[in-house]
Amino acid sequence: MSAKKYDAIVVGAGHNGLICAAYLAKAGRKVLVLERRHQVGGATTSEEIYPGFTYTCCSYVVSLLRPWIIRDLELPKYGYEILPLESTFTPFPDGRYLMRDSDPERTRRSIAKFSPKDAEVYKRFGQEMAELGRLIKPLIDDPAPDPLSRDPRELLRLGRLGKQLRGQGDEWLYANVKMMTMSAVDFLSERFECEELIAPMAISGIIGTFLGIRSPGTAYVLLHHYMGEIDGSFRAWGLPKGGTGAIANAIAASARALGVEIRTEAPVAHLLMKGNQATGVVLENGDEIHARAVVSGLDPHRTFLKLVGEEHLDPEITQQVKRFKMRGSSGKVNLALDGLPDLACLPGPGPQLTGGITIAPSIDYLERGYDEAKYGAFSRKPFMDVLIPSLTDPTVAPPGKHTMSIFVQYAPYHLKEGAADWPNQREAFGDAVIDTLSEYMPNLKDRILHRQVLSPWDLEQIYGLTEGNIFHGELSLEQLAFLRPMAGWSRYKTPVDNLWMCASGTHPGGGIMGAPGALCARTMLGKRAV
Amino acid sequence: MATPANTVIVIGAGPNGLAAAARLAQAGKKVLVVERAAAVGGLSARHEFHPGYAVAGILHDEALLPRAVAEKLGLSRHGLKFQKAPATYLAEASGPGLLLPSDTAGAAEAIGRRSAHDAKSYTAMRAFLDRITPLFASILSEPPPAISPGSAGDLWQIAKRGLSLFRIDRKDLLELARVAPMCVADFLNEKFETPLLVEALAAPAVASTWSGPWSAGTMTNFLLRECAGGEAIEGGPPALIAALLAAARAAGAEIRTETEVARIRLENGNVAGVTLASGETIDAKVVLSSADPKGTMLKLLAPGTLPLKIEEEFINLRARGTAAKVHLALSGPLELTGNEGQLDEAIRIGGGHVDDLERAFDAIKYRQFSERPNLEIRVPTVADPSLAPAGHHTVSILASFAPYKLEGGWTDAARERFGGAVIAVLEQHAPNLRSRIVAREVLSPLDLETRFALTGGQLHHGEIALDQLLMMRPAPSAPRYKTTVPGLFLGGAGSHPGGGVRMTAGVLAAEAVLGG
Amino acid sequence: MPIPSPFHERTSPLCTSYRWKDWAGYCAVSSYDTSHEREYFAFREAAGLLDVTPLYKYEVTGRDAAALLGRMMVRDVTQLKVGRVAYTCWCDDGGKVVDDGTVARLDEDHYRVTAADPTLHWLHALSRGFDVAIEDSSARLAALALQGPTSRDILKSATDADLDKLKFFGVTKAQMGAIPVWISRTGYTGDLGYEVWVDNDQALATWDALIAAGRPYGIEPAGLDALDVSRVEAGYVLLGNDYFSAKKVVLESRKSTPHELGFGWMVDLNRGNFIGRDAIAAEVKRGSIWQLVGLEISWEELEALYASFNLPPSLPVTARRDALPVYAEDGRQIGQATSHTWSPILKKYLAIASVHRGFETLGGKLRIEHTVEYERRQVTATVAKLPFYDPERKRKP
Repeated sequence: MSAKKYDAIVVGAGHNGLICAAYLAKAGRKVLVLERRHQVGGATTSEEIYPGFTYTCCSYVVSLLRPWIIRDLELPKYGYEILPLESTFTPFPDGRYLMRDSDPERTRRSIAKFSPKDAEVYKRFGQEMAELGRLIKPLIDDPAPDPLSRDPRELLRLGRLGKQLRGQGDEWLYANVKMMTMSAVDFLSERFECEELIAPMAISGIIGTFLGIRSPGTAYVLLHHYMGEIDGSFRAWGLPKGGTGAIANAIAASARALGVEIRTEAPVAHLLMKGNQATGVVLENGDEIHARAVVSGLDPHRTFLKLVGEEHLDPEITQQVKRFKMRGSSGKVNLALDGLPDLACLPGPGPQLTGGITIAPSIDYLERGYDEAKYGAFSRKPFMDVLIPSLTDPTVAPPGKHTMSIFVQYAPYHLKEGAADWPNQREAFGDAVIDTLSEYMPNLKDRILHRQVLSPWDLEQIYGLTEGNIFHGELSLEQLAFLRPMAGWSRYKTPVDNLWMCASGTHPGGGIMGAPGALCARTMLGKRAV
Repeated sequence: MATPANTVIVIGAGPNGLAAAARLAQAGKKVLVVERAAAVGGLSARHEFHPGYAVAGILHDEALLPRAVAEKLGLSRHGLKFQKAPATYLAEASGPGLLLPSDTAGAAEAIGRRSAHDAKSYTAMRAFLDRITPLFASILSEPPPAISPGSAGDLWQIAKRGLSLFRIDRKDLLELARVAPMCVADFLNEKFETPLLVEALAAPAVASTWSGPWSAGTMTNFLLRECAGGEAIEGGPPALIAALLAAARAAGAEIRTETEVARIRLENGNVAGVTLASGETIDAKVVLSSADPKGTMLKLLAPGTLPLKIEEEFINLRARGTAAKVHLALSGPLELTGNEGQLDEAIRIGGGHVDDLERAFDAIKYRQFSERPNLEIRVPTVADPSLAPAGHHTVSILASFAPYKLEGGWTDAARERFGGAVIAVLEQHAPNLRSRIVAREVLSPLDLETRFALTGGQLHHGEIALDQLLMMRPAPSAPRYKTTVPGLFLGGAGSHPGGGVRMTAGVLAAEAVLGG
Repeated sequence: MPIPSPFHERTSPLCTSYRWKDWAGYCAVSSYDTSHEREYFAFREAAGLLDVTPLYKYEVTGRDAAALLGRMMVRDVTQLKVGRVAYTCWCDDGGKVVDDGTVARLDEDHYRVTAADPTLHWLHALSRGFDVAIEDSSARLAALALQGPTSRDILKSATDADLDKLKFFGVTKAQMGAIPVWISRTGYTGDLGYEVWVDNDQALATWDALIAAGRPYGIEPAGLDALDVSRVEAGYVLLGNDYFSAKKVVLESRKSTPHELGFGWMVDLNRGNFIGRDAIAAEVKRGSIWQLVGLEISWEELEALYASFNLPPSLPVTARRDALPVYAEDGRQIGQATSHTWSPILKKYLAIASVHRGFETLGGKLRIEHTVEYERRQVTATVAKLPFYDPERKRKP
């Protein structure tokens, strides 16, 4: 086994690991990807948990996968297919509802029922976001600028960035500072007056974070929602055909075609270290595999505390790693249904069921859910992002039957009884989700054939996400850009020689975006590390 | 009333207004200060809330007062004396509490009796703060940096200045970049294992802000406070007012009380003077307002005066009061269990854990006041017995959190209920309190608004939040005291570097007047 | 997904061409017949009846109604007499035009504003500190434009209004049988014409009454294609086509000032402050970058151009909104024609164009692009006075 020498070993076959491997192979490097589980994808996965039903277990929509990665890796050729997901439906407990879809005039009329003024502003909001997003785009498609660097090349780049920013005018800069520092609610409240619109819009600021919609710093994440427009491709939100796992399979197929070797059920125990240098990996079965470089697709905690081990680290680095906040805050409930449920406010089939259904009826509702989580309990009345993927992609369920994916927040990893109490609370959590959703879909319970509940603890156990954090580390201001995952180590390089990081714990962060994987490969190749 | 061309009207006679007046008069301007109240001093004035009983000021903490600014105005010549800040007693429900001296060594020693780890952490944290203090001192004593990158005074330039001028090393700057956007609870939890200490250190960073210790960005306020003066003055805030008044008058400034401005008058878009509530008009080409920015720009200027974009900036300026003041007149000392026999000047009472502080904040999100508020207490009669009849005491309590907009409104009953909640918390630590209460006054944020002309009852004239600091304060169109209305300047707590018993904004605004 | 207007029940069966378009979220008839010619000539020779319900309408009432609109509009509408209407535009802080429309003073404290774009938020944003109430009456009020030489006779027979006294840009309350209506002498065709404002539930009865009264006078239901030709002849600019709202565009250079759109006559810099005043004053000092002009395209050259391809001249049958580059004689591109149409009544090919300052001199010769057989050529265009067509009856008592 150890005879074969690789240029690089990628640990973990999540989408970022696969993308990194594919780019390295594209540049002619010999790459091995090692995956602990029986299949590739990591959290980008779909699995047949219940016979005949393919669940999109974790990540459930795609919007951010960088278009240049799709083109570079020719993903459509390998089965990457996105079905459009165009609407967001928000039901309210009193029977009213809000429908936002791709028809601007229909959306305007729907919002106008709540506030005619907001309906007008909403039409322009997307454009305003797209203008602000011009700052974000270069940031997510390039390594993070390091303002404290002393490297002349970096200073040059910063100078260029500064000049570019100056060219945008002060007004734009002020708007961006506000965007970066304000809470989603405060930011939206400067523009909109009605809570029925602010609440469901604000949730894009908190998905996957341990923050409330009133927490400073959440306005920035709103921008991500508008990335599709920034790329010039409309209707960028979509469902991958065959579930999100199909994306991972497409990337894996592309990688294999480029010569990447992928081994599943090959859990890595730890790195092979020589001094401060990573020389390869040791598998749990004891096999040693050598390589010029090791790339970790795991989160920063796992990478340093498990793969490397504290004994090989400067105590200060260990401390910094431990300070990097993981704190998972969300869970998933996946259902197999023997028929479509009805929405109380708009029964029957229709467009209200085919898009996203957002349970976010008021600011207070969302904030109370957050408050419960702060003190170590899952939200009794959680925010939910509900999808019925089988309506868009009938291949995931038997004819006439359906799957339902429910993203739930907040479900804190750290319960007040301790994270290990999750197995005892898991079903109560699932019940809270179904009970709450049943208030909006009264016949939901009658339709359920099977239910899968994934708490953050389960996400950690099954997918190796430390503390169940779906973004490999909180997206809070002090953990972004040149501070992700640690000051001075935001460029995919690590304090361990020949060890690189390519996943969501690095800039620009989580979601099925792929940028960390691609940027890591680009950096490694640029530095001739492989 | 004919007035000379170089007249400046200063609105408001709080520390900022008086300091601006002193600075302008010292530079040769003819200054007229107009104050709506019967006495000068604003929130720093001696406040008699019951016949014979007074507190030293609605604001009772002088820790933000910068010595350098006082020196610039020559206040020591007018009787201002700095002194060491009093020790703060952190009360706890079951335990002896913690008496925290204001000096690092003393505090570390006191903390060390609880936890050696925390004492070490405290010393290290103070050392870090001391290393970055020169940078903060310069930020706090100068006009805010410009936003445009590459311009002379932008943030990077300041950071670079930090590197060169103040010899702050790269590691400290990286740490600063990491911690500044954090929430204060995360930062303090990284450092300390004693919950009592974490809560007490976090409390000042969230007092009268619209945030709890778990809100991102509260670390910035923590740093801005911890790197400020940290001293006290003899006689408390009224002594500052007396010194400022003397300095302003000595330089020739005229001060008129019971003189409320109804309108700032414009002619052809330029400031032409003010119209008083009495109907009297006073001419001046320059008006410096130390009143809050929302009130100044949206109420004192006639509707429709400002460009829409500028008007919206001030509409969007968040100024929600979040704390109430409770004043007690006691027939005897405030005796706390756990600290028998000691008369403390400064006391903090929380729930004992930073989550209790967060819970206290949670309430205002739902338009409720905290049932168990966090209390920042001063007993001014310890240092100045003349504030109450012999043997009697007064207690000044800043109680967090209480919303400006209370569900159901701030009725008399609601105010009394909140007063009751404060007493109930205090009583747990001072069992004999109730029998000693001679009188009590509860000032809700709404009361603070109506009685002291504070929009929203917000003590800082504008919430302390990341997007309302530095060049964003009070609004992008007026970051350096000068508004878009020619002749109108903002020099109150709503401007950089902010509120509290401080006068920097007033002085810097005066310098903006002189510079322009 | 557009919705039907209150007149849909009547207009729908008449629209035998099935040619509809989306106007502000409503289904609006482009032309009832396959060709809009009959409808156009109704505007010019008899009377055309056009459903203009999709216009946005706002009622501004209260003590400060005049002050609010004084702040908003570039034209001084505070001095408007009750019963008068003013055509005006409004700007943002930068003096760039947001929209244009009419302001009618229905009563001392009651104004009605019409706009091409939704304006409720803008009105509210500007109203802080003013004692006003703002109502969006867009969905409550139906509106019909009755335009053409016989329109007055039709309204005289259909209503009790004293129309001989209703001057150009006047507005009055009237009864159409039992139906209370507002009649304003306004329109977008540049001809004698009126607009009738009525509550939704009376819409169909109003339509029926006008059609009945109009029959002896040659009334014809007319669609937007006919209107488009008429409005180019009348020299009226169209938001979203000839200029773009300052609130919607990304590029600063896409915004327009009142002076650049020929709205300079509306601006009164000597009254009090209004939104955009300082910027407009600065522009007046500095001079505008663009000028709106009319262009008459040389028919002789067009004919010769087509002849060189062995073709007879052929022009689009409807008014076109695709912008054409406009060149100076030396070949530099100095502007663009944003609307152009064949004028059936003037027998000329006309365009509304924006050109760089210095090229607006009447009679000046410019070149405009014209494509024949996929080949881009140029023909001479002469700067002409706007409006192209301005019959005396439009403003005559």
